[in-house]
Amino acid sequence: MDKRRFLITGGLALATPNLLLAANPPLKLRELYNKDGSFSDLALNLADQRVTVMGFMAPPLKADSQFFVLTKKPLAVCPFCETEADWPDDILAIYMRRKYRVISFSRKIETTGRLALGKFVDPETGFLSMVRIEDARFEVA
Amino acid sequence: MKTIATSFVALIAANAVVAQDIPQAENAWFAAGQAEIAKQLAKTPNTTKAKNVIILISDGNGVGTNYASRIFAGQQDGGFGDEYIQPHEGFPNLALAKTYNVNAQTPDSAGTGTAMMTGVKTKAGVLGVNENVKRGECATITGNTVASFNEIMSDLGKATGIVSTARLTHATPAAAYSKSVDRNFEATLPEGCTEQKDIAAQLIDAMETGVIDVALGGGRRNFIGADIEGEEGKAGRRAEGENLIAAATEMGAYYAWDQATFDAAPKDGTPLLGLFESSHMKYEADRDNEPSLAEMTGAAIEALKVKSGDNGFFLQVEAGRVDHANHDGNLARVVRDQKAMADAVAMADAMTDDADTLIIVTADHEHAIAFNGYCGRGSDILGLCMGIDGAGVVNTGEPELADDGQPYTVAGYLNGAGSILREDMNWAGVRPALTQDEATDLDYTQQALVPKSSETHSGEDVAIYAKGPWAHLVDGTLEQNVIFHVMHHAVTAE
Repeated sequence: MDKRRFLITGGLALATPNLLLAANPPLKLRELYNKDGSFSDLALNLADQRVTVMGFMAPPLKADSQFFVLTKKPLAVCPFCETEADWPDDILAIYMRRKYRVISFSRKIETTGRLALGKFVDPETGFLSMVRIEDARFEVA
Repeated sequence: MKTIATSFVALIAANAVVAQDIPQAENAWFAAGQAEIAKQLAKTPNTTKAKNVIILISDGNGVGTNYASRIFAGQQDGGFGDEYIQPHEGFPNLALAKTYNVNAQTPDSAGTGTAMMTGVKTKAGVLGVNENVKRGECATITGNTVASFNEIMSDLGKATGIVSTARLTHATPAAAYSKSVDRNFEATLPEGCTEQKDIAAQLIDAMETGVIDVALGGGRRNFIGADIEGEEGKAGRRAEGENLIAAATEMGAYYAWDQATFDAAPKDGTPLLGLFESSHMKYEADRDNEPSLAEMTGAAIEALKVKSGDNGFFLQVEAGRVDHANHDGNLARVVRDQKAMADAVAMADAMTDDADTLIIVTADHEHAIAFNGYCGRGSDILGLCMGIDGAGVVNTGEPELADDGQPYTVAGYLNGAGSILREDMNWAGVRPALTQDEATDLDYTQQALVPKSSETHSGEDVAIYAKGPWAHLVDGTLEQNVIFHVMHHAVTAE
């Protein structure tokens, strides 16, 4: 075996997963759902893996929280403050690693963390989510 | 007489010579213009009494929104978009409507719906009542209610129906059957309000008395109690124990809640109640397991024809979510819902005879939408404004740049959630960089100026398109309530 070739191949193989991750565009929120509200195959395949999802930070209910809601379009009102509002079905609950800085609802952000599927009721707010990103961080897109 | 005849011949000859002498006479645009004039000259007003009337209202589809939708449909069809003709744009008669409410330069759908359905303008936010009421004050309703076109048509022995992609208790469909001092009294009333019923209860009453024979749309939650779970797992908004859907079926109505139960609906004169979502029906782009606006329109016409026999029918159709997507500043869903509306217009037209059916297509109001320039032909109506190619027809493919060095979309909004002004910058703003892929994404919110959580209506005129008996009365710049009077004249003319 050509040792040099092995090294190059091995090096490439090691580098490729990261390269691929970097090259993949962030997920769109709607890609996690089917039209009937069920999880998409993509979401099911990515469950428990680290993903990056693009969206907007809905105005949070509580200051100094580690939780906010990611929406696919800018949503200027707080999901919990307006009891009569019709919230979109396809939103994503974000649980940050630590407390975060609130970003204007109209700025696009990319949130990275572990995709968690399944029913969960937030103990602080009572917010029921079916899908979340946990251990998350975000950056302004 | 001989002199007149000679002059007439001379006139014809002169016109022919003029046409032959014009160098552009062979140009395709010139020929198309001549063909259009011939078509206009061949128009003859239909002055027979209308048997049926259908009004299709695209909520929020003013002249600007309709323009965006035309271009979108045309581009989906493979063209530049501008040349495309939506079904209603082929109708022979056209007017502009002034949409203001008596107390609002910028109207709301309750006031405009009441104007179209009762013949009188009224205040913003109220339904089936005149301007003497005070919004929200139930006691002021006494003596101030007005009759809707559905009630009048029902009294004439005709069947009537409503179809909407919004909640059936929402402003535009509710204007067909309800009288309420506040459009928000959809499922409940304030304490002490005894002078009127809530809007959902009024719909069931209207079905029971036979004023409404077909009602298809969204808004299930307003018909069931908070302790009752609807078919899709969401609780109602009414007082506990109340179930108006059960009341409707007990009086003989057929109830549909999804595509399968819609498909199975009888078209034999049985009253039809369709509630396909807990709140509004889905946007066309997101629709699943529920009928399209065109499908509901077709089913309603079929059912109303059977119900009415030779007496005829009246149907109000609303594309309710063109408005909602505009409020979101999300033009990608606006134009897709308006395409669904155009398909419903085509369906209504195909299922009826121009000789006896008056069809009116209009909007209740416009939005704060606006268009940039100077964009070359074929610029994606959802995307960036591309340059004009002086040497060709198709745009250059290079985005025009603003003075900030950034490209901009063809369409934008004057206000809304897409505002570039940011609270975290003390309401200063910078336009973010934007690519064609981002701008044409289904979820993209168009850039706006004034920051508002929800983009607003505007007071700009809307178009009225008409065909069929007395459609020629739709002409000029009209007050919006005149639409009622055109419909009423058409069905009562002798």
